[in-house]
Amino acid sequence: MSFLREMMENLLSKPCTILYPVEKVPIPEAFRGQVRINDEKCIGCSRCSLVCPSVCITMVADAKEIEFKGKKLVRKKRPEVKLFSCVRCGLCAQYCPSDGIVMENVLSCSGTDCEVVVK
Amino acid sequence: MDAPLLAIYILIFPGFLFLAAFAFFLEFLDRKITARMQHRVGPPFVQPFADYIKTLAKEVIDLKGVDRKALDAAPLLAMAAVMTAFLYVPIIGRSPLAFQGDLAVVLYLLTLPTIILFIIGWLSRNIFATMGGVRAVTQMFIYEVPFFLALITPAIMVGSWSISDIVTWQQHNLWFAVLQPIGFIVALIGLQAKLERTPFDIPEAETEIVAGPWTELTGRRLALMHLALDMAMVTGCALVAAVFLGGPLTPWTITPDWFAGIVGFLLFLVKTLLVLLILSSITVASGRIRIDQLNDMGWKYLASAALIQIGIVLMMNYLWVGA
Amino acid sequence: MPEVHIPIGPQHPALKEPVNFKVVVEGEKIVSLDLDISYTHRGIEKAAEQRDFIRVVPLLARVCGICSHSHTTAFVKGIEEAMKIEVPARAQYIRTIVAEMERMHSHLLWLGVAAHEIGFNTLFMWTWRDREIIQDMLEEMTGNRVVYGINEVGGVRRDLTPALISRSFEHLTKLEDRLAKYVDMVISDETLKMRFCGVGKLTREEALKYGTVGPTARASGVDYDVRRDEPYLAYAEVPWKVVTDTNGDVYGRTLVRIGEMQESLKIVRYCLENLPGGLISVPAPRTAPAAEILSRIEAPRGELVQFIRTNNTDKVERLDIRTPTLANWTSVAVSLVNQNIADIPVIVAAIDPCMSCTSRITVMNRKDTKTCVMTWDELRKHGRNLYQKEWRA
Repeated sequence: MSFLREMMENLLSKPCTILYPVEKVPIPEAFRGQVRINDEKCIGCSRCSLVCPSVCITMVADAKEIEFKGKKLVRKKRPEVKLFSCVRCGLCAQYCPSDGIVMENVLSCSGTDCEVVVK
Repeated sequence: MDAPLLAIYILIFPGFLFLAAFAFFLEFLDRKITARMQHRVGPPFVQPFADYIKTLAKEVIDLKGVDRKALDAAPLLAMAAVMTAFLYVPIIGRSPLAFQGDLAVVLYLLTLPTIILFIIGWLSRNIFATMGGVRAVTQMFIYEVPFFLALITPAIMVGSWSISDIVTWQQHNLWFAVLQPIGFIVALIGLQAKLERTPFDIPEAETEIVAGPWTELTGRRLALMHLALDMAMVTGCALVAAVFLGGPLTPWTITPDWFAGIVGFLLFLVKTLLVLLILSSITVASGRIRIDQLNDMGWKYLASAALIQIGIVLMMNYLWVGA
Repeated sequence: MPEVHIPIGPQHPALKEPVNFKVVVEGEKIVSLDLDISYTHRGIEKAAEQRDFIRVVPLLARVCGICSHSHTTAFVKGIEEAMKIEVPARAQYIRTIVAEMERMHSHLLWLGVAAHEIGFNTLFMWTWRDREIIQDMLEEMTGNRVVYGINEVGGVRRDLTPALISRSFEHLTKLEDRLAKYVDMVISDETLKMRFCGVGKLTREEALKYGTVGPTARASGVDYDVRRDEPYLAYAEVPWKVVTDTNGDVYGRTLVRIGEMQESLKIVRYCLENLPGGLISVPAPRTAPAAEILSRIEAPRGELVQFIRTNNTDKVERLDIRTPTLANWTSVAVSLVNQNIADIPVIVAAIDPCMSCTSRITVMNRKDTKTCVMTWDELRKHGRNLYQKEWRA
């Protein structure tokens, strides 16, 4: 009996589907989405590329003066992330000492260029 | 009825073209109601027609050693059988082709799609298709007896073998759904089994034998066979609506003939949709049963209920129609 | 009646992942069957030997999508035992919460899949709609809907804020309502009982003899649950019950899984209410001393065993994973004989097969027990040979 009642209730109410792309799925704040590199904060320590499980971060030469913990230093390298190899585990953001690489709550799953990098 | 009007009746309305359009409409309604009951959105209005056009355009894949011409002809045969059966069902009043015995003709023609499914399964040279075909015929043996009996009891009470006579008789008396409730329920369950819908979609069990007899149907064969099954759904619902729910005639006569036709057509639509709503609810609320469980249930409960119904009707005839 | 050979798999609508049943039937009854697994062998155990303890945890999380947290929990528990570090209580509670929520969503997924296997698509749609409640909770807590990645050696990576905890309580109340409705539906629906009762019966002796684990064994009356008999994480401090049943058929397994879902909900609620304060992780040393650890936990599908050998370096020397589905396949092969073809998908679905979890081994050559290293081309040639000469016959 509870079955029939649920069926009739569902028939008369709005479906539970989110009508993508007209409606968007709500993404919580804590979602691990796309990687983003903050150029003005990265100190070039390479920790992110050492910790990445899928080896998708390469360090490229890029000199810049960065202020880190009140001191000025000159970084020598900066990371580049191959987006289609990244598994969004968040270890790079966790081990970065200066917020140079962060995870944003943005969905980024599809594209046409498989060599695209995030700089 | 003179020749041009008869041609329009057969070919356009309410004949073949209307049958195809109504088949698409009923399939859309069935899928939409099922989806809404499951809390989903469901397909848009033109979905069945779009599916039909898309499937027509796809490539037909033939296995080695398969009889191509027979497989091409089989869906057309099924469609022809169902279309002919639809001509005898009253839609806007009595059918102009009615004759004594058209009930038996309609019931016979409606069994042809299942036999054709078995033939297709056999011809396909695929183990899953053969098993599905065997299951389809086994299921047909189980439910045909109660279904026929349930549809014949109104004919016994009316004393005529024509569907149009049954409909006219209900115009001046009660509907058969009220007079013979057991027969009505048996007919509905039999119709669900004939149309191979859950809980009786055993021949087409997707998770057990891939797609049963439909496995090797592709392209235009699949489109035409699917349309034939949809038309069978229309004819089955219209038949049950005519025999048990009074069909398109009202108890009081309506004077301008064309107005009577319009009212009759609207009544036909409403009653057929009501039967479809009941069938869809049964589909949504249950899972598939096994063929041996169907065997148990069919012979123990359905056939006995139909026999009890016949017994009641014969006794009523004897007591009231008089010795 | 002549015997017919039917291939169920490797591709079949009943199977969500590839496995090969070569079934011999007479009419509709199964006479005998042969089972082939290992279609999804990916070389994870070898890959784990080449990654240090930080980088191997995301790899192990991707062994299976539905039991991802179980694999990482078993591994970090073993490594912490080898390193002899004490994980803070708050981290244990958070791990327990995520583990029980994983169990709930895995069992709800199973209920939908079992309903779909008998053609009962309505229950499938409804259970998967309610599974979204759990997925949303997990997304807020851990950052992802599957493959949570919340474990690390030494603790957990994320904390639960009070706002998140109060939102979770609201979700839990809604979920409790829905679970009570599903219990009601499963007990009272006729076609479900017709398809599930008496199908795939496994007696207690058979279950013990063939080494079944998890809800499959508990439904046959085997009262064994790793969470109670060898407690880990926070299970010793939380009041909860083991759910068993004596039916031994698919219906019994359904009842056991629904009962486990309700128990999991109570565990999650208790842990959220009594979350201890403190750190969420301690810093772990880089290398692990030499040790051989057998780490066992109760994954949603049964007992998951991981054998870890460390050798004073920052990588494991050998990792061997015995998943619960691998232990349950024998019971499927045994209980399918003398059933109908129509029962194959039901019985296979009743052990909750997770093929990604299953295959850690591939039998290369049955006659000769040497091992060898193959290049990619040699492996492909070997696979083609095997298929055309041995399996087609």
